[in-house]
Amino acid sequence: MKKNFIQKVANWGNFPVVEKNIKSEDSLSKIQDFVKNNNQIIARGNGRCYGDASLSDNILSTKRLNKFISFDRINGILECESGVLISEILEVIIPQGYFLYVTPGTKFISVGGAIASDVHGKNHHSEGCFSEYLLEFDLLDEKNEILKCSKQENPEKFWATVGGMGLTGIILSAKFKLKNIETTFIRQESLKAENLDEIFEFFENSESWTYNVAWIDCLQKGNNIGRSILLRGEHVLRHEISEKNGENPLKIVSKIQPKIPFFFPDFILNSFTVKIFNWLYYSKQNRKEVKQIVDYETFFYPLDFVHDWNKIYGKKGFIQYQMVIPKEKGKEGMRKILETIAKSGNGSFLAVLKLFGKNNPQAYNSFPIEGYTLALDFKVNYNLKNLVGKLDQIVEDFGGRIYLTKDAMSKSSLTGYLKNVENAKFVSLQHKRIMNGGSINKI
Amino acid sequence: MIILGSNSEVAQAFVEKALSDGEKYPVIYLLTSHRETTEKFAKHIEVKFLQNSEIIDLDLMKEIDFSTLEKVNSDLLFCAAGFLGEGTEEALYDYKNSEKIISINFAKLVPVINFFAEKMERQRFGTIIGLSSVAGDRGRQSNFIYGSSKAAFTAYLSGLRNYLFDKKVHILTVKPGFMDTKMTEGLPLNPKLTASPKQAATYIYKAFKKQKNVVYVLPIWGLIMLIIKIIPEFIFKKMKL
Repeated sequence: MKKNFIQKVANWGNFPVVEKNIKSEDSLSKIQDFVKNNNQIIARGNGRCYGDASLSDNILSTKRLNKFISFDRINGILECESGVLISEILEVIIPQGYFLYVTPGTKFISVGGAIASDVHGKNHHSEGCFSEYLLEFDLLDEKNEILKCSKQENPEKFWATVGGMGLTGIILSAKFKLKNIETTFIRQESLKAENLDEIFEFFENSESWTYNVAWIDCLQKGNNIGRSILLRGEHVLRHEISEKNGENPLKIVSKIQPKIPFFFPDFILNSFTVKIFNWLYYSKQNRKEVKQIVDYETFFYPLDFVHDWNKIYGKKGFIQYQMVIPKEKGKEGMRKILETIAKSGNGSFLAVLKLFGKNNPQAYNSFPIEGYTLALDFKVNYNLKNLVGKLDQIVEDFGGRIYLTKDAMSKSSLTGYLKNVENAKFVSLQHKRIMNGGSINKI
Repeated sequence: MIILGSNSEVAQAFVEKALSDGEKYPVIYLLTSHRETTEKFAKHIEVKFLQNSEIIDLDLMKEIDFSTLEKVNSDLLFCAAGFLGEGTEEALYDYKNSEKIISINFAKLVPVINFFAEKMERQRFGTIIGLSSVAGDRGRQSNFIYGSSKAAFTAYLSGLRNYLFDKKVHILTVKPGFMDTKMTEGLPLNPKLTASPKQAATYIYKAFKKQKNVVYVLPIWGLIMLIIKIIPEFIFKKMKL
């Protein structure tokens, strides 16, 4: 058997699939050799971005940069290598009474990915992006030198790298601040909204809650457009906890995780099955308002429960489309978007709506701007390009933009917002596509 | 616990498995020829499990100073030292490559294990876990230098088990099939037959707890190797395996 590092690789959406040179290393000297001997490099963590962001001709996988470096248990400061996953971090910090300030909807992302995407969570309006809590990181830059970056040291590189999609170099390790928690439980309220007006009202009335997110049925039409369920949550304090959970308030939750064993055939997911799913989800809750105590896994990572859920979308894969529209035009924009999707019949299983708070102007490469953000999954098919084109046009008309971590085919006027990332060493297929001004991902 | 070949991902995963199972050791001795990466691992288990460890330099390709190992005492030795080398086609007649394979997998390794086996024999207690390979079950044209060194190692472990049986020291022989590690990155391995280090560590840890003698990782490899072993030689010699 001969070694061959040219391999098929795709990110979470399984679109696009490319054959590229991919290698993982665990020592700095070998990573530096890789950078010296190659051009057109991008770092890749756990491949949980959806499109072509962490793909390039030469991919340096950080999966073997998986070690913890230090943990200040008193001040809640953790340092680890960039390939460590959030799931691994939680196992270490939760028993000590800590959680991450910012976590996206999956815990299977790497720390390097969290920085490169400057990820946000259900608490963007109250606590901002990942970079708010990032103290420092080591970056292997285009000169193949290690640069310590923080808000004080090399701040230009620091701010270009957060949200910079890996284009400034390879993040080797990072140090960040953790959030104190007294229990691992979340006090959750779910509110049913009949339509778009109501869900917007809910969001605006819930700004004092730490966590807010809504699931939205995007196949509804007419008066029902925007039918949705808002989930809001707060960490449960020690004294608020019931006796049953009181014995071990900082328990790690591990659930038996079913796996999707193979790619589902194409016909399984269609607008009919999505309609049934959405109907079931919406009808599951009878009352207008439900209050309950849930564990952190249920609240933050409902999808992680099913391993490889991306295979449900079939071999051709899917894209996630996430855009943000400025707050003042949010409702009008969302209505247009939802109308367009309902008309297309390209139903999205999981449509998530959120209200972003004010952005940190220093983190100029980060995606979030104050406004409404909607994330949708679409199965890849021949109509998709057309639908994305229409949605892009609406987003552009309303002054919005697209989340690069999800993007695989949007127009470059919505995705070309990164600054200070150009160099001769590091580039991704996504960045090349955006710079070329068009889509090169063939369906 | 003593780890021989601490840079091995399977060894590291085994340590993590034992620690997350709640085991505590006064100190874990990490014997290695790769200090840089092993230092990272030592810090890692300190952060994650508050586990003490000590790194001891040991390069099987150099003269071994056994006095540095005098203080190293434990009732568990995990031996993951090994070297795959280049495949046969490229390097069969490269004597340096052959020598290195035989040395690290067998010739230079055995005296080190003997050193610890003797200590265990004296304390009349302990377990030695040795990572051999399915490649040692039958010599095949694709990697028989590596395979034969592992065959020798398997035979050694079997003899040692027999010898130490009434001295209350147990030997576990582990025969991994395909593994997803640094050593095999880039090889076209069938994912269904390939174990991740974490998966392998879980199997090995279970086998250790149950005092098994020989285990295949993944278990399917036991069946595959059985078939490979029973093919008559006059057919086998014509096969391209």
